[in-house]
Amino acid sequence: MALVPGRGVQALILSFLLVAACSTGGGTSSAPPLAGCNSGTKIALFWTSHTPPDTDSEKNIVDAFNKQSNTTCVKMVAVPGSETDIAKLTTAVRGGTGPDVYELDRFTVAERAAAGVLEDLTPYGAANMSGNYLDFAWKEALFKGKPYALPDDTDARVLYYNKDLLQAAGVTDLSALDMSKGAPTIDTIRGMANKVNKKVNGKYTVVGFAPRLNQGWHYTWGFAYGGSFFDAASCKVTPDDPKIVQAFKDMFYDWSAALGVSDLQTFESTYAPDTPPLPTEQDAFLTGHLGFVISGDWVLAWLQKYAPNLHYGITYIPVPHQGDQPATWAGGWSVVIPKGAKNGSGGFEFMKYFAGEPGQRTYAKETTHMPTLKSLLTDSTLFPGDHKLFVAMLPVAHSRPALPVGALYWDQLTIAQSAAEHHSKDPATALKEAATAVNAKLQQYCPLAT
Amino acid sequence: MIAAPRLRRLTVDERRSLRTALPFIAPWIVGFIAFTLYPIFYSLYLSFTRYSGFGDATPVGFENYTHMASDPLFWQALGNTFYYTALAVPVGVVVAIALAMMMNQNVREVAFYRAAFYLPSILPLFALTFIFIVLLNPGFGLVDYVLELVGLPAVNWLGDAHWTKISIVLLAQLGAGGPALIFLASLRAVPSELYEAAKLEGAGPIRSFYKITLPLITPVILFDIIYGTILGIQIFTPAFVLTGGTSGGGAYTTGPENSLLFYVFYLYKTAFQYSDMGFASAMAWVLFVISVVLAAGIMRWSKGWVHYESG
Repeated sequence: MALVPGRGVQALILSFLLVAACSTGGGTSSAPPLAGCNSGTKIALFWTSHTPPDTDSEKNIVDAFNKQSNTTCVKMVAVPGSETDIAKLTTAVRGGTGPDVYELDRFTVAERAAAGVLEDLTPYGAANMSGNYLDFAWKEALFKGKPYALPDDTDARVLYYNKDLLQAAGVTDLSALDMSKGAPTIDTIRGMANKVNKKVNGKYTVVGFAPRLNQGWHYTWGFAYGGSFFDAASCKVTPDDPKIVQAFKDMFYDWSAALGVSDLQTFESTYAPDTPPLPTEQDAFLTGHLGFVISGDWVLAWLQKYAPNLHYGITYIPVPHQGDQPATWAGGWSVVIPKGAKNGSGGFEFMKYFAGEPGQRTYAKETTHMPTLKSLLTDSTLFPGDHKLFVAMLPVAHSRPALPVGALYWDQLTIAQSAAEHHSKDPATALKEAATAVNAKLQQYCPLAT
Repeated sequence: MIAAPRLRRLTVDERRSLRTALPFIAPWIVGFIAFTLYPIFYSLYLSFTRYSGFGDATPVGFENYTHMASDPLFWQALGNTFYYTALAVPVGVVVAIALAMMMNQNVREVAFYRAAFYLPSILPLFALTFIFIVLLNPGFGLVDYVLELVGLPAVNWLGDAHWTKISIVLLAQLGAGGPALIFLASLRAVPSELYEAAKLEGAGPIRSFYKITLPLITPVILFDIIYGTILGIQIFTPAFVLTGGTSGGGAYTTGPENSLLFYVFYLYKTAFQYSDMGFASAMAWVLFVISVVLAAGIMRWSKGWVHYESG
């Protein structure tokens, strides 16, 4: 039996109409696109690779934004990714299904802008906002002099110590850690830390200080030793700066030799593994397995939430010589509009809120990160207790060089750090190799416009 | 020598059938061209360019290939991958044959055992890796606990560069159920009268295994070696999961001393972390050539030991 053609065409049209109705939700255009949004608003998709507790705060900011916006309704989605891994973003953008706003580690903005992943924010008027932000944070958001991001938070690193562990080990005089006396020397910390080390059945269960753990990165120690990671004049990275080499030798190579390379590895694999990292609540410092640790201001929120009874103290990152100026570095994240965003203007409206006063105020309060807005740094209500110590460090904090090869540089430094700690290469050789690998890639972008 | 048959012209009926068939398989043809053939050749073109994945690709000739030769990470990744494959493939064959023989026992509960041995193979590698991490923890993991119980030294499986690849070889054995099923089929295809004859001649089970079973399943062993080698040189997931797959989050981007920087992992990082699609494409083509050479080499080598019943 032949199908009546007219009826077939009608069925086809009807099914198309049905699909079209379903894809628009079948509702009226004035209904809110999402619960918590206002009527008549248009969706802007926001992707973040953060995890709790940070995403809890971000959700609060999104909800507050949606409540007050009459044009934009932000849908926040947590996606896989990390500081330097944006595979999910790049593939989605190429596939035309990317978000309108993405949260990106700020030190990689120049790299991603150079790769063409990000929209220039000049047409949205971002260039006029430069004066609102801390200078170093704004510079990280630029590529070839144009803004590609709005900085939404920053941080700083210090030395935390567990008072109970130190006292139990007989270290009762903690006056050398008093911040009013400046930065303690590395020898002072070593002396205290060595007393805290504890082994059970031949394995460390407590280590006084493992310099590489948590935020004891290559950059941390390189800056503490006064090293320079980039030479703008020659457009070359300089990880083989003698001061950085010395930092690697003292803090990674010699320190692990003193504790026992294999014993330290076993301790780290047990209590602070990188493969993969433990959940925050099992952090080695929070669970009392470390006497000292280098970390950032966000740990204040962790301590409150996961270890409220831990008696801790804070001091400057130790320095090589008595009287050396204390050094720290500030990082932080930013919000960007990826290429091909379908609702760029809505996205930017949200970015102004998220990286503006309302968003940064909430984020600073709830996660103990610091804002990048100058206007908020003078608001003492945002920095209760020890948090104000971090704010005082910001004016002199270093920042990582914002390079179009930032992620590669980070990886190469980390490889050199691993080699030094495990004694597979001497620090000078490992850092020389890092310089060679990164400079080979960097040359294609030179000279770099600021 | 047999002459190759000449291609004859299609008859009218055959041409009509082809015309009818083509539209039916058109979706597959279009999909194959658009999603397989075109990307393959496009990646060949990209391998001669500098390309971030966005904007225009800049031709750079053979620069990506010459850079590869002088890139220490490329050689380290290749070395790690060969080391892993050379270890994982023979171990995998032995484990799969052993599993298949256990599945082939003439006991009442054999169906249960087959299911139990095969079960880990259908679990996602991602989940298995996480279980493995807990089992291999040097402080409170079950594996080191058992080692110490029997008087052996504990091993820092995932923190010591000497043991990381061996850990992944062990992990890969949880997927041995798949090849074991193929070996099981081949074991069951061995004629039972051969064993009966051997028994009458006084051969024990070990002699029967080496003289009857092993020669008759060599075609399947060859298949498993080639298949395992191709999978081995593409090893990625366990290393990605173990290292957190990131650089900022984990201190050792690619395992202690880069010991888990496998070829495809480096390719992934080059493409998606360093936005260098040109170099990544060149790496993909080099891997393809390596795969072909390895497969051809194994086929050539197999002529000396694979026994085909018909041959």
